[in-house]
Amino acid sequence: MSRLIMLFGMSMLCFLGNAQNNLILTGKITDEKGRPLTGASVILFPGNTGMLTDEKGTYSFASLVHGKYQITASFLGYQTITDSLWLNAYHVHDIQLEYVPINLDEVVVRDNYAESRKKSELLSVEVVNDEYLKQNLGGSLMQSLERLPGVSTIEIGSGQSKPVIRGLGFNRVVVVENGIKHEGQQWGADHGLEIDQYAADRMEVVKGPTSLVYGSDAIGGVIDIKQNHVPDKNSLVGEIDLTGKSNNQLLGSSVMVAGRKEWFYAKLQATVIDYGDYKVPADSVDIYSYKVLLYNHHLRNTAGQEQDLHLGFGILLPQFQSRFYLSSVNSKSGFFANAHGVEPRNVDTEAHDKSGRDILHPYQKVNHFKAINKISWQLGKAALSSDLGFQHNFRQERSEYVSHGYMPPELPESLGMNSDLEREFDKYVYSGALKMNYRHNETTVFDAGISSEIQDNNIGGYGFIIPAFKQFTAGAFLIAKYSFSERSRIQVGVRYDYGRINTRAYYDWFSSPVDDDANETEYLQRGEDLIRRFSNFSWSVGYNYTPNEWMLKVNLGKSFRMPIAKELASNGVNYHHFSYEAGNPDLSAEVSYQLDAGAEFHTKKMAIGATPFLNYFPNYIYLNPTSEHDRLYGNGNQVYYYLQSRVFRYGGEIHAHYQLLKSLQVGVMGEYIYSEQLSGAKKGFTLPFSPPASAIINLKYLQDKLGFVSNFYLSLDYRLTAAQNRIVPPEEITDGYQIVNLGSGGGVEVGKQKLEVSVQVQNLLNTKYFNHTSYYRLINLPEAGRNIILNVSVPFTGKL
Amino acid sequence: MKTLRIISVFATVFFLLNACNDETQTDLQKPEIILDIADAFPQNCDTLYFGETFTFKALFTDNFELGADNAFSINIHNNFDHHSHSTEVTECVLEAVKDAANPFSFIESYSIPEGTRDYETAITIDLTEGDSNGVFDDGDYHFFISLTDKEGWSVQKGLSIKILHR
Repeated sequence: MSRLIMLFGMSMLCFLGNAQNNLILTGKITDEKGRPLTGASVILFPGNTGMLTDEKGTYSFASLVHGKYQITASFLGYQTITDSLWLNAYHVHDIQLEYVPINLDEVVVRDNYAESRKKSELLSVEVVNDEYLKQNLGGSLMQSLERLPGVSTIEIGSGQSKPVIRGLGFNRVVVVENGIKHEGQQWGADHGLEIDQYAADRMEVVKGPTSLVYGSDAIGGVIDIKQNHVPDKNSLVGEIDLTGKSNNQLLGSSVMVAGRKEWFYAKLQATVIDYGDYKVPADSVDIYSYKVLLYNHHLRNTAGQEQDLHLGFGILLPQFQSRFYLSSVNSKSGFFANAHGVEPRNVDTEAHDKSGRDILHPYQKVNHFKAINKISWQLGKAALSSDLGFQHNFRQERSEYVSHGYMPPELPESLGMNSDLEREFDKYVYSGALKMNYRHNETTVFDAGISSEIQDNNIGGYGFIIPAFKQFTAGAFLIAKYSFSERSRIQVGVRYDYGRINTRAYYDWFSSPVDDDANETEYLQRGEDLIRRFSNFSWSVGYNYTPNEWMLKVNLGKSFRMPIAKELASNGVNYHHFSYEAGNPDLSAEVSYQLDAGAEFHTKKMAIGATPFLNYFPNYIYLNPTSEHDRLYGNGNQVYYYLQSRVFRYGGEIHAHYQLLKSLQVGVMGEYIYSEQLSGAKKGFTLPFSPPASAIINLKYLQDKLGFVSNFYLSLDYRLTAAQNRIVPPEEITDGYQIVNLGSGGGVEVGKQKLEVSVQVQNLLNTKYFNHTSYYRLINLPEAGRNIILNVSVPFTGKL
Repeated sequence: MKTLRIISVFATVFFLLNACNDETQTDLQKPEIILDIADAFPQNCDTLYFGETFTFKALFTDNFELGADNAFSINIHNNFDHHSHSTEVTECVLEAVKDAANPFSFIESYSIPEGTRDYETAITIDLTEGDSNGVFDDGDYHFFISLTDKEGWSVQKGLSIKILHR
């Protein structure tokens, strides 16, 4: 409701030109008893300037012009208040915030945030909070976000998925956690994001090229995850989350405790998840032409587990904040046993089908450790911030030794190799960034920054796909924002990047015949000592105009991506779809030009908007299946080479909602993408993993109080996905499908304890369907059947 | 009214972009490996013998054009652990599971003349008795054929065969 008031308020804003300058707006933020609230957030519209109150609870905005303003004050644990005021002289405006007993229930605050982000960002942006994640909880963080228009996932199994924004995935999307770019292993689609979705407080999805701020890789967009909830002074907050899922019998729990004493806070969170094989509505699956019978609809050996630990602490002073985050995310999950290796395999069904919870070979085990420090420092008109990060990603893929190519039939013990260690990847990442926001005057703001990252990657195991490599990148950017009026703003930015990648030579540990008579054998070289350097100049220009009920924006930008090690130097069998992948050491850095537009019209009762885009790549890098077969390594597998081609893409998202009744809202969201390769071996074809057109029709019923349930919601999603007939080898045409998802929940009080409950029924009708962007689609595996998901959150608070 | 007009402009642009994508002619069909022509060999469950040669005979077809360089591959490897199963309907009787000592292994790829739509193979494969490590193990083997067309569509066939010593 208050969101609507806010929207209405904004739409009432009017602008007065020829204004008087240098006005001051000041005031005090207090609690309901009149005690000052230190560190409360105060945001002023227009201008979208924000600040935190000092130890006396006061805030002060200087150099303001004459006009009408909206001021929003928020503080964790308190109801957010938005006031309108008319400024024509020195003005004092005090705000009293009301205490809300449940500290973590602060939807209102973040909705305001989302609204202001959407207004200020030139690209299309989606902002969700932890509550949204709980109401839409999927098998992984990305699956929980899949409902958002323009967002899809490339997934393998029930717990692993990679983000895709408007059809671009893998290294074309940057995932940022607490200001640091998340660096997992790059080479495989089977590698999910090593991120604990219970620990995410707020997420932003920016759709469109954001190389300007994030450097290489952000061609498709950015997923920015923040863990920034901090309790108020001298208090203790916590939350226990319990999750259960019917389809793969998942049990999960996460416990968070956070405390703050004046300026020091600390936060601890632990998550444990354990799940069994997931079930599909089919008795057998057809892997290429190999028919595999399924026992009890179980996708054999897709069980998994996860254990995560997070520690955060820091100091929060009005002018200076320093936050530390340490986390360790550990997972072990099985691969569908019949479809791993150099060919589809028969497996020991007796051992596999004995239990739906055990993880046998083949499986993957990943540990991701992160240490991050984030400092922000307010210095007069400038706000400085620094991000420092260290990451260690250690991943093992274990599978019984299977000789292929000219490997000996049994692994020789003399080599001292682990007989089930198929591949091992060990990555160390050191990153740092320094940023400055400088408010020159009321109309002009500058953002500048430098950043750098060093990577050291090592490999192990009996199977080879990419060599060890080292990588160095550095960049600097400058962005200027100028407001013609509070409804009309322009933004111009430039960035320069430099990158260097150095792959290490690799020789087979077994010898292969090199002449026709098989008399002469050699240890073949699969990886070469390669050094490549890249540099790029990127830019963007954007304009946004927000009169009354309208929000219009347009942005044009150039962004880029350095080729990654697998694209330059892979040379081995991909055990997930029986292909041989060969890198191309001559690839150039991928460049993309994109035109983005956005239009939204909103009133108190409805909103309708569209965000179309046009995109051109002169040299898109992609994996091209050729008509060749490999003779020396795999099983005579088809060879795929990395090539570059000109690519044209367009598409966009639409969204609309209408308030039918006071408590009933109907909405529709849709997305469409068209891609075409304009040159090269696959001229005329689309790009791999192109998401089909899809729409969600949603009905949502909301009631502040329904019986004993507070904030009750009941939501019905009818998802319509079109067939994907535009495919490229080795894909299959995927039929369209319709599924129904139900969600409901609210707050329940048990004695004095409040509980937040959410229930979802995904794929209510147990429909058998294929997801075109699932990695398992290539081997004909259907998606999960009906899945009931229950999540209960138990928040608690205390004094310190 | 102005609102409606702006919305309709956006909608029109969106749908026009949609409508004017005339499908370019792209080949979306996989090639085929046909094993039911006369004299096709080997067939699922056939037995071959070490020390002899045989001719691999099958018909390959594609709607446009078959692949050229290394466009098909033949791979023969042991199935002593019963890891492989065939792509064919008939089930073959397998020998008991055993460890490999000196299994026979064959991986070779072959080219097809450019511009071919239908191609009948006549590949002579020599099953030698053994190598420097001694005679090859007899028993269950897997005969794997992979074929591609020019666009990179691929198709596979896996046959269960036995290779024995006479």
